[in-house]
Amino acid sequence: MIPELYEKCRSLVGVSTTEYLGRIELLATQRFAVAAGAVQCPGPHPLFLSSVMGWRAGPPESELYPDGTADGFVPGLPLSGVRLMGAGQDLEFHEPPRVGADVTLETTVSDVELKTGRSGDLLFIHLRRRYTSADGTLLTTCRETFIAR
Amino acid sequence: MNDPSPLVFEPTTLQLFRFSAATWNPHLIHYDRAYARMEGYPDVLVQSHLHGCFLVEVVRRWADGRGELRRFSWRNRHFATPGDVLTCTGHIVEVDGDLVTLELEERNQDDRLCVTGSAVVALTSNGEDGR
Repeated sequence: MIPELYEKCRSLVGVSTTEYLGRIELLATQRFAVAAGAVQCPGPHPLFLSSVMGWRAGPPESELYPDGTADGFVPGLPLSGVRLMGAGQDLEFHEPPRVGADVTLETTVSDVELKTGRSGDLLFIHLRRRYTSADGTLLTTCRETFIAR
Repeated sequence: MNDPSPLVFEPTTLQLFRFSAATWNPHLIHYDRAYARMEGYPDVLVQSHLHGCFLVEVVRRWADGRGELRRFSWRNRHFATPGDVLTCTGHIVEVDGDLVTLELEERNQDDRLCVTGSAVVALTSNGEDGR
């Protein structure tokens, strides 16, 4: 399964996908800050943009994978039967996001690596995500690696 | 300029549930203990991003009112579960003009390294740190 996914992923390296995520809602940012244990967080928390997994309602339960996850981490890449782990992010903060901003996300598959570990094949998917507001202002750049096994 | 004060976090299943809800993260591994055990873990797992929030909180409280966060990164090294006692620390490693670089760590009650990280804060010119 992983080698096939590697080939599919390789064909996506360098490809960028842009999607409109939605508007930053005050309540959503406040709930995030409370859940994160953040004190004195008047604006959106610095990790808010890159932590939210679903900006839309999302698929019905019948379309989720058995582990509860859904496609969409990597646009154009189906991840059925694969376990995907986040292992950290590198974030650059250009401009602080504001409540009410309409956010667009550009995702680029920057690289993919196939490694064989003790427990089998591991796929490292390196992504670059750029969050911008409607007027084109770059808010946050996130570089992140997902490990698929 | 002093290093940040350490912070101790003791995540609960309730916090994990609320963090999954606030991020609309449906992954069972964060709220279904039976599923987490099936994957070989002793309990549900603290989200990667929540670890990030713990570490960045050290920087946020240290920088409070005297600087802006410019960069932040973290790497998850070892999982954590509810009941773990996670101590987050930070040290200033470089000061270059107004830019301060900090290295960060999160360790559990057994001194196991769970997360490493770094942050760059741009101090604002009206800071009252005696520079």
